[in-house]
Amino acid sequence: MFKKILIANRGEIAVRIIRSCRELGIRSVAVYSDADRGAMHVRYASEAYYIGPSPSRESYLDADKIIQVALQANVDAIHPGYGFLSENADFARRCSEVGIKFIGPSSEAITQMGDKITARQTMIAAGVPVVPGTQQSVSTPDDISKIAEEVGLPVMIKATAGGGGKGMRLVRDPKDLFSAVKMAQSEAMSSFGNDTVYIEKYIESPHHIEFQILADKQGNTVHLFERECSVQRRHQKVVEETPSPFITPELRERMGEAAIAAAKAVNYEGAGTIEFLVDAHRNFYFLEMNTRLQVEHPITERTTGVDIVKEQINIAAGKPLSFKQEEVFQFGHSIECRISAEDPFNNFMPSPGVVRHISEPNGLGIRTDGYVYEGYEIPMHYDPMISKVITWGRTRAEAIERMRRALYEYKITGVKTSTKFLERIMVNKNFREGTYDTHFIEKHSEELLTPCASEKSVSVDMAIIAAYIDYTNKMEKTALGDFTLTRTNDKWKEYALKKSVQRI
Amino acid sequence: MAIDIKIGDREANVRLIKKDGSKATIDVDGITYEVDIVMVEEGVYSILHNGKSYSVEMIPGNGPKNYFVNTYTSAHEVEIIDAQSRYQKSRNKDSIESTEKIITTPMPGKVVRIPVAEGQKVTKGDTLIVISAMKMESDYNATLDGIVKKIYVNEGDSVANNQPLIELE
Repeated sequence: MFKKILIANRGEIAVRIIRSCRELGIRSVAVYSDADRGAMHVRYASEAYYIGPSPSRESYLDADKIIQVALQANVDAIHPGYGFLSENADFARRCSEVGIKFIGPSSEAITQMGDKITARQTMIAAGVPVVPGTQQSVSTPDDISKIAEEVGLPVMIKATAGGGGKGMRLVRDPKDLFSAVKMAQSEAMSSFGNDTVYIEKYIESPHHIEFQILADKQGNTVHLFERECSVQRRHQKVVEETPSPFITPELRERMGEAAIAAAKAVNYEGAGTIEFLVDAHRNFYFLEMNTRLQVEHPITERTTGVDIVKEQINIAAGKPLSFKQEEVFQFGHSIECRISAEDPFNNFMPSPGVVRHISEPNGLGIRTDGYVYEGYEIPMHYDPMISKVITWGRTRAEAIERMRRALYEYKITGVKTSTKFLERIMVNKNFREGTYDTHFIEKHSEELLTPCASEKSVSVDMAIIAAYIDYTNKMEKTALGDFTLTRTNDKWKEYALKKSVQRI
Repeated sequence: MAIDIKIGDREANVRLIKKDGSKATIDVDGITYEVDIVMVEEGVYSILHNGKSYSVEMIPGNGPKNYFVNTYTSAHEVEIIDAQSRYQKSRNKDSIESTEKIITTPMPGKVVRIPVAEGQKVTKGDTLIVISAMKMESDYNATLDGIVKKIYVNEGDSVANNQPLIELE
């Protein structure tokens, strides 16, 4: 087993990984940039080393520097967390070259899954369904109508060099096909300098559903069921839950098998996630594989009882999985909400700054994975996600109500956060009924994103009364000096005073 | 003593009618509340009203008259408006227009781009400056037609919140 692991990451995920290291009796090594000297992962780790200036490029993405620190600290393995270097095949390869185990799949598997076209071809070969369409460029009218006919309308015209919605055209009517291709080509040319476009079937009302995979070196591959991640904003997940309220037991089984086949096709090792798109008719298509730990892994941990980080470490150390597929089952329902330092009512404007006060929810079925504390300054250099709240309930309804309570209790002051927005999702009718797809936030944007007018309620009036009393007390205190106030307001001090008088 | 308390965008008139130990009778916008109010820990008040229990957290804001106030279901920004702050407010009224001409950012960040130059004519909605924070870029647009009078920062600079960036005229 490893004696020491370097965590090439920061924030909540670094803290979460160190927790599992502590339970396994493994020493943890944190790395930090200028902005993170006082960060929680540095405080919580057994060792910590400086790796450079605040911008990620010069610190958390600097593979040379991190490998140098790893050698200097004499670690056995590096855990990359998510983001940063976690899906960097070159980094994985260089770790193994210097004799340090990269906790994750081989660099070959990362490369194979990282390239969209290769991944698609590999999946087709493994018999995993992919979104119908073509990866070859289309240009002649004959080609276009032939392919559109094969996959069936509606179709999406996409630029191979595309991204961010540019060079994309949705076509529902055959007569719009040619003009749409022309438009997509010219847009792709002006945006990316490459006018290659291809055709893909358009998935209506898609659900984004992913399967958690664990695979050991001995060739055992299991899945830990699905996560429903359809509540997204600009392709960023906001709320995740498991089990999915959308899929049936029969579909779950078929998707689980496909996920295992997908992982086996690349000789996958470690923890990974197969993402699928599921259409309104419950047809599923391979989207991509994330060859790392996911942000939303805790909901799977909560319902299966498996510590995924621990499994990653065990697998990397060469141990076989300690359980078989038929021994894994889900108990109850779990939901995760991502809390970000941003203002949901002002176009999600980032809100870095100093945390004045924080009180986290607690109690049965609640887990918070965060890293900020009172007085901590959330840096402007990194991701706005500051915390995740994970709730569990015996039923979906209970998990939702518990999440509502947890969000009410979660108070982070000093920076703006997305908790109010998340609260509104928890009371949304479609969400509660489990009838939502990836268009959810867009569809309900008015309900979810309109700034709330200050309501008139007794509860608000109580806040006003407290403000009044606090302010007038402060004024009296300045006017009369401390003594009067302490005597009238602090019963404990009064008690202590009496006690000491009695003692005399 | 009556004072105005601004909570969100509501301004409430609050008047203390009677106070005896922890028992207080307070009028808020014409509604009279008889409450039992105790500071249970620093900045945290427990209020009992008609048998109902409320816990209110008061977190100091940016000035002595500013608070962040949390109740179980809600969080508010609160400002105490007494005679002094009312006077200051009335004096500052004249300068409201001038603040619109100065572009500032509500958050700390880094200047990515300044697509305008001093002396350039701009129309309302034109992007004046792009600030990046937390992996997101935000555009700041002209709020009025005018001329770029002064640019206070350079591309690549780190900026603090509320720092003047660009002045229009």
